[in-house]
Amino acid sequence: MMSLAARSGAFSPYMQATAFAVAGPLKALLPGVVLNGEKIVLNPKKQFLCRESLNGQSPMRGPVVTVSINGPTGVRFAHTDVRVPDFSDYRRPEVLDPNKSSQDSSESRRIFSYLVTGATTVVGVYAAKTVVTQFVSSMSASADVLALSKIEIKLGDIPEGKNMTFKWRGKPLFVRHRTEKEIAAEAEVNISELRDPQHDKDRVLNPSWVIVLGVCTHLGCVPIANAGDFGGYYCPCHGSHYDASGRIRKGPAPLNLEVPFYEFPDEDTVVVG
Amino acid sequence: MAASVCRVGSTVGRVLAKNRSPILLSLRRGQASVSYAQSLVGAPETRLTALDNGLRVASEETGHATCTVGLWISTGSRYESEKNNGAGFFLEHLAFKGTKKHPQTALEQQVESMGAHLSAYTSREHTAYYMKTLSKDLPKAVELLSEVVQNCSLSEAEIEQQRGVVLRELEEIGGNLQEVCLDLLHATAFQGTPLGHSVLGPSSNARTLTRQDLVDYINSHYKAPRMVLAAAGGVNHDELVDLAKTHFSGVSFEYEGDAVPVLSPCRFTGSEIRMRDDGLPLAHVAIAVEGASAASPDIVPLMVANSIIGSFDLTFGGGKNLSSRLARLAVEEKLCHSFQAFHSSYSDTGLFGIHFVADKHYIEDMMHWSQNAWSVMTGHAERAPKLYVVLSYENGHILHILNYGRRIPLAEWDARIDAVTPRLVRDICSKYIYDKCPAVVAVGPCEQLPDYNRVRSAMYWLRF
Repeated sequence: MMSLAARSGAFSPYMQATAFAVAGPLKALLPGVVLNGEKIVLNPKKQFLCRESLNGQSPMRGPVVTVSINGPTGVRFAHTDVRVPDFSDYRRPEVLDPNKSSQDSSESRRIFSYLVTGATTVVGVYAAKTVVTQFVSSMSASADVLALSKIEIKLGDIPEGKNMTFKWRGKPLFVRHRTEKEIAAEAEVNISELRDPQHDKDRVLNPSWVIVLGVCTHLGCVPIANAGDFGGYYCPCHGSHYDASGRIRKGPAPLNLEVPFYEFPDEDTVVVG
Repeated sequence: MAASVCRVGSTVGRVLAKNRSPILLSLRRGQASVSYAQSLVGAPETRLTALDNGLRVASEETGHATCTVGLWISTGSRYESEKNNGAGFFLEHLAFKGTKKHPQTALEQQVESMGAHLSAYTSREHTAYYMKTLSKDLPKAVELLSEVVQNCSLSEAEIEQQRGVVLRELEEIGGNLQEVCLDLLHATAFQGTPLGHSVLGPSSNARTLTRQDLVDYINSHYKAPRMVLAAAGGVNHDELVDLAKTHFSGVSFEYEGDAVPVLSPCRFTGSEIRMRDDGLPLAHVAIAVEGASAASPDIVPLMVANSIIGSFDLTFGGGKNLSSRLARLAVEEKLCHSFQAFHSSYSDTGLFGIHFVADKHYIEDMMHWSQNAWSVMTGHAERAPKLYVVLSYENGHILHILNYGRRIPLAEWDARIDAVTPRLVRDICSKYIYDKCPAVVAVGPCEQLPDYNRVRSAMYWLRF
């Protein structure tokens, strides 16, 4: 620096010579004079041009004996030499022109960014939800277990008046092919007399077929088919009488036999469950 | 007669005041110096005349014994290209090194014998050469100014010598971190445009600019329609106009090849520069959004907003009683060593921001509270102290002529400031600050400064 050079007295010519870094038509370029001795600032063995080595070497941090003009490139002389790189490759088309104000397009650019972000968020949330539900639902019943939950029965094998028992979900399932007489009889029953009032048509999809769980609603025994006083089922454990629709008529059971969910995919088959 | 009555009155008042009786003390009030309202109306009128070649002459006569006269030119680093960036600054260095009529020593002797101050400055959009002198020396001053501006000698030897000076000045200014910070702010905010050029120019240009470059610069930009000869003090307008006619009629108003330089708008880019140096003791950080141009009506609310945010320095003694909320926080939480809210406005754009100096462990907090101050401004605003805004008005009068074509009188400024309501401040601030990309610069130990995306996210609140 000028002030340091002025104050150093006898050394000032050397300081000035080293600090000069300009080539012009009038003044010949002076070769750099590096002072030897303890005052060496730059350690030649040290890795140059890294932050640690340059820390404290930059001109703004105090008097540094500058090296010759052919110094290593990349050491910037002043902050005005900092070049902001050209980011045109990354710019959106609306802001490529440096002679156009960026305010006009600012709203549309922001809207675009926010829309894309919003849409990605929605898609991301949906994807996350899918993944989570897939993992959580993997803990639910597996396919083989679910397969057991339905039973398909061929109705052609069951003659009229007969009741067949199947094992379904660990419980007995009664499938009864009712005769016309039984159907008519059950339809005529006065509901107000029943302990658990339900009309027959509410308990069957197809009146000729009664499908109920064979578990007595009293304490869980299996009723016997075609037994009892009402032409239906009779539970031997405590004497509950059910009719041909599975409704409780006499005995300790409080409710009618349970009707599971079933459907008739065609005339000859029923799928229960 | 009137004077003696006043003297008697004041003596009586002083005696009464000494008795410390409150009712009698009130008698003193009427004796106060001119009130604010009176001074508004009593401000001297500015007179404006244009010469034939387009040069404008403005003066404000106050009757003082001294005056300031200067030439303001609409040129600066914004008019420079990459290749000649720094020419204006270089030229400013050469301006006082001799003219065709007066070699350097003669020029200096002339100025010093008048007891005058001759100086110049270059900024991004304006260059000025001005002199402070006695009113009676006005003719000589105008003559010297015209010499300096029109007939600068630009000798080769001088140019070579000034190269070294400019380089050393570049070196020196590298130590003024506030300047570095604000220069880098312009460089990144207006990257790729002429406003991004620093006034000083890169060191490579300082080494390679030739006499021809400087001559070309003068020929392209020192044109009469872009100049204003202004004076304030004990000057007579007609005399000034005559002097201008004598000395400045020769200033050309035509451009070579009809190539009139037109200022194109400068694109603002939200971006950042971090110049990290952990060896420095304090970090200088600046954050700015694109602000209003000098001619925009939004200038006044933005200035009001700036005075609400205010400035602060460790030397402020106000402590918890400072008016600015951010300053109170700075004191209580020891957030920073200093901060200032600034607004640099140019002819078609501006930078509205906050610059602060903080210790390396407080940068994040200070940035958070600065942006919080901005958010509060966009949410609700308080009445701003008018005084600060009025004081800052004084600096810009010449520029008013260059920018607006007229001088805006103090009374009009006062009316404009009065018209600013909190709601207006809020709306204008929302327009410029809310959800805009800022330009951020940090110099020094800036590791703690949050990532740009976080700073950007803090520019809006999710509020509906």
